[in-house]
Amino acid sequence: MRTRKEKSGEVVAYSEAAIRHNHSILEYCRTSMSALSGFTAGVIGLTGILGFVFYFLVAIVLWLIILVKVGSSWDKYFRGRLNLLTNGLGGGLFTYVLFWTFLYGMVHVY
Amino acid sequence: MGELLLDPSIRVWVFLPIVIITFFVGILRHYVSILISSTKKVELQQVEDSQTLIRSRFLRENGKYIPKQSFLMRRHYFNNEETGYFKVASKRPSQAPNPITDPSMMTDMLKGNITNVLPMILIGGWINWTFSGFVTTKVPFPLTLRFKPMLQRGIELMSLDASWVSSASWYFLNVFGLRSIYTLVLGENNAADQTRLMQDQMSGAAMAMPPDPKQAFKAEWEALQICEHHWALKNVENDLIGITAGHQEQSSVASQT
Amino acid sequence: MTTKSSEEWKAPLTKQEARSLLQKWREENTRCPEKVRDVWQAFDLRNSVGDEKWQILEQVCLAAMDLHDAVLIKDCLTQLDAKFPNSSRVRRLKVMAKLELRERYEDALKVYDDMIKKDESNSILYKRKIAILIAQRKIPEAIREMSEYLKKFMNDSEAWLELCDLYIQEQEYSKAAFCMEELILTNPHNHLYHQKYAEIQYTINTQESMELARSYYSQAVKLNPTNMRALYGLFLTASNLSQQAKYTSQKRRENAKIASWAMSHITKIYEDAEAGKHQLSALEAMMGSLQVNSVN
Repeated sequence: MRTRKEKSGEVVAYSEAAIRHNHSILEYCRTSMSALSGFTAGVIGLTGILGFVFYFLVAIVLWLIILVKVGSSWDKYFRGRLNLLTNGLGGGLFTYVLFWTFLYGMVHVY
Repeated sequence: MGELLLDPSIRVWVFLPIVIITFFVGILRHYVSILISSTKKVELQQVEDSQTLIRSRFLRENGKYIPKQSFLMRRHYFNNEETGYFKVASKRPSQAPNPITDPSMMTDMLKGNITNVLPMILIGGWINWTFSGFVTTKVPFPLTLRFKPMLQRGIELMSLDASWVSSASWYFLNVFGLRSIYTLVLGENNAADQTRLMQDQMSGAAMAMPPDPKQAFKAEWEALQICEHHWALKNVENDLIGITAGHQEQSSVASQT
Repeated sequence: MTTKSSEEWKAPLTKQEARSLLQKWREENTRCPEKVRDVWQAFDLRNSVGDEKWQILEQVCLAAMDLHDAVLIKDCLTQLDAKFPNSSRVRRLKVMAKLELRERYEDALKVYDDMIKKDESNSILYKRKIAILIAQRKIPEAIREMSEYLKKFMNDSEAWLELCDLYIQEQEYSKAAFCMEELILTNPHNHLYHQKYAEIQYTINTQESMELARSYYSQAVKLNPTNMRALYGLFLTASNLSQQAKYTSQKRRENAKIASWAMSHITKIYEDAEAGKHQLSALEAMMGSLQVNSVN
């Protein structure tokens, strides 16, 4: 039930269940963030490339928030810091675009 | 292409209803699938087979942590020519269930279809029929002409800009985009699943077995046969002392003082 | 596991916390019936937990059985029975309360056999039967049943551990070692498994098994450098082996080195924990006597 990683010859053991739990919580954060930022982008009426820039900006802000929250002992909870940013970025984009389009349509098109 | 002015009634009577309908249909589908899904009766033989496969996999992966003698003993149990578990198991008469003759499998398949495919088609068709031909919204970013058939299903207007979305396409956008919202709203293992467990005890770690266990047995037999044993603990004492040699010197100094 | 006394946690706990506390105990199989009952009676969780209610009821019912609280058992069972009239899980609870609790073991075994016939792949029923045998102190029969059970459910690591303990009770150490090997296979990163395996090998006490014990103690220490029991074990095995007459002097010296390493490590842990002077000297004296003992 555990996975291992070689790091400078040291074998580090991870608890599979704990890793999955951490990732599901991250997924929760990311989906909420995508939906909320989509709402925001739609309401303030961002269009074109600006909207996508906004999404990645928010993703990076979320990443920084998580990093601050995790603190210096991040290697206890996650395998890599960059993974926190990249995991599920594409899936979140889908949700973001939907909410962005929805709110943009509601507020600005009609 | 200039700005198109849409009637605000479209927003109230088409655009918004589609979002709400897709969302609630998704939730409804979730609960209906919980309601009609039957707990599968697991055969004892099936449990045994799947657990054996797991155990053999553990042996292959972690066999290096037990002494060589023990490893060989276990491999013999699984793999020997006459009485090895995999040998005997692969001689068992085949009982690959035929989906046509086995009615319970048919109903399972049907149920899967009912909860997954049918509502998609039904609701999609209904929405297509009720709200057909509306331009509902505009995506807030420019798109190339290639997206026209995707986003403007049901509207044949050559001159319309590609970023306008028709009602049917708006429905499909919702179906795909709301997926992650469902996990947010419904939770990954929500309480509803737990009640089903209560009704009838799940049997251990019985998991999905491959339809034909013989194939799996043969593969596992081969994998185990070529698995070599390198005892991981051979040099562990020296490793241990080596790793913390610094500590040792420190502490021996400390204990002398 | 919380070690707080019941008065301490009663006051500041909210309903939500009580609920998650019960959930934690349920998931970790913590057997603390008094606490479960206290929490259940202190908070009226009946209407605020939704579908989790039934699991909590089962948990409380089991706790009540531990405490022989007939009123509470009856209360839980009537509720569960009303909700799930045909559930085998509730039926099992009823058998436990009505037959096992009153030590009518033969009747209980009969009912379980009936239930197994209906649902062959239900591992809990087999386990109940084995539990009855253990309660009757019929260890050899329990071992036989357990082996049969493990032939069917090979991945039940709790059962392997239980079988290991049964074998240890019967002093069949090599068979107990087999069970521990099985556990090591399922989770090679658990230092306690390695430690226990080493202890069994140490008890067998032949030259090879001593060497195995030394290796597995080392592995346990490697996985968890603060495992004191494994450190002491390593010290004992290594110093025992360093006195082994059949060994070459080279080998003996190696073992002596390991023993001294283990000893210095133990001392260091005591020092880090800021043990008092007299404790350290007591430790030294004990080490000395351990060494003498292992020579004999």
